[in-house]
Amino acid sequence: MNKLHSKRLNTSLAVLIGALSLGGCATTAVEHQTIASKADPYENVNRNIFTFNDAVDGYVAKPISDTYKWVTPQFVQTGIFNFFNNLKNVDVIINDVLQAKFAQSAEDTGRLIVNSTIGLGGLVDVAKDVGLKQNDEDFEQTLAVWGVPQGPYLVLPLLGPTTARGIPGAILDTAANPASYVGAPIQLVSLLNTRANAQSSLDFVKEGALDPYVFIREGYLQTRDHLASDGKSQAALDVDNELDDNKVSFANDKKVVANNDSAASNKANYTLRLSSAEQTAGTFNGVTRSFDETTKSFENANNKIDELAKQRNSNKLKKVK
Amino acid sequence: MFLWGYWVMGLKNVKLVAIFIGLLLSMGNVFAADAGVATAKQVVDKFQSELIAVMKNGKQLGFTGRYDKLHDSVTNSHDLNKIARIVVGKEWEKLSEAQQKKLVEVFSRLSIASYAHNFKEYGGESFTIDSEEETTRGGVVVYAHLSIPNDKDVKFEYHLKETDKSWRIINIVANGVSDLALKRSEYTSVLQREGFDTLIAKINEKIDNYSKL
Repeated sequence: MNKLHSKRLNTSLAVLIGALSLGGCATTAVEHQTIASKADPYENVNRNIFTFNDAVDGYVAKPISDTYKWVTPQFVQTGIFNFFNNLKNVDVIINDVLQAKFAQSAEDTGRLIVNSTIGLGGLVDVAKDVGLKQNDEDFEQTLAVWGVPQGPYLVLPLLGPTTARGIPGAILDTAANPASYVGAPIQLVSLLNTRANAQSSLDFVKEGALDPYVFIREGYLQTRDHLASDGKSQAALDVDNELDDNKVSFANDKKVVANNDSAASNKANYTLRLSSAEQTAGTFNGVTRSFDETTKSFENANNKIDELAKQRNSNKLKKVK
Repeated sequence: MFLWGYWVMGLKNVKLVAIFIGLLLSMGNVFAADAGVATAKQVVDKFQSELIAVMKNGKQLGFTGRYDKLHDSVTNSHDLNKIARIVVGKEWEKLSEAQQKKLVEVFSRLSIASYAHNFKEYGGESFTIDSEEETTRGGVVVYAHLSIPNDKDVKFEYHLKETDKSWRIINIVANGVSDLALKRSEYTSVLQREGFDTLIAKINEKIDNYSKL
């Protein structure tokens, strides 16, 4: 589950959330009532798994990761991070090509070669000093570019947040990452390192979030969207519309508006209050659909890359004009 | 000789003209400052430099010191009233006037406290404004980035709206994550699931934690 992993500590919110392998931090026990969120139809199940992951993280992952951080010197931690980060470039390069980003794939190949040789097998990130910036691509982003729908937001036991499209994406990422083919002890180090690096992000969530579950969900979905669209897609929140809505409603009779709203939300609650079993079944359907779509899109991979390359070229020409 | 004199005269004129233009410009600046019309970019720039200044003295100031210093910086550059209203979405109308007032008050305190907590020390970070863009509906987006030594840059977008003839920040998007959208999901979720009193209690708890950390 490469995509859910990695990424360095960072002082700001943003990128952090994508890094969570275990969505960890304390949640207060609240009444499990479903709130309509288009992207998260299985919120009840997801919240339960989130709480479970959080407990596992608190009892198992965090103590081990804290010990690892305590006994391992910083330069070793950095080296380990760089090593796995460098191997990830293989996956990045494949996805550059699949998204017809040929110039970027050349840059990332250069990165891989420089770091694997001069950078002592990836332990030192020489490429960064040379000015080769690291690109972030993976199969989930490729599927997004190819038009596979995102599907519902899911929280997987132990693995954390993803989407229906993210599951086939993560499986392909794992297959494309050389780190997946080494022995279990190295895998364990990779896992530890990822968890240790996520600590500051987890602290940030714990300190700042009023509802950590929603915070991580929103942060995760927005970050993935931002990456898939290469920063072009904006978090969909039209400030003007929001303000206009408020103004319009103010002009109306307050009571009527409130009643309508509560009636509507009751209805939404009613229709969304499915049993856990039904929700789980729905989740599996969503994921199966996503696998089907993934298979289909790989059948047409060649055409897709050609189309994307043409699009990119015509965009470039337009810019020149 | 004559020609030389003429040349000197010309030079003097040029100098005079230059001084005059300089004077005009500076007067223009004085007028602009008098009217208090800072551009959206200036608002962001001022806020960022005040934030860096607080970070540099972060340790000596302590949480309370940082909070006090940032109080004016944040309230003068952000439209906290509007932000507080947007983060609760449609729930705003269901709140009583007293509740709305309370929400704006605690929300403002939380916003300042989270800045005071998250920007407590300086490690060579710097803000740079990259560009600015007008939106179709009269807003301005200022694009900036934070450079952190030995780490990736964080890209910021400041969304500003003009309120009472001054530009105020209404949303900050960091590396593609919209603070307003994120907060709105959280606040509406807590309001719907647990009600207004719990929301206020949770906000107060966060402020309290920030002051202790």
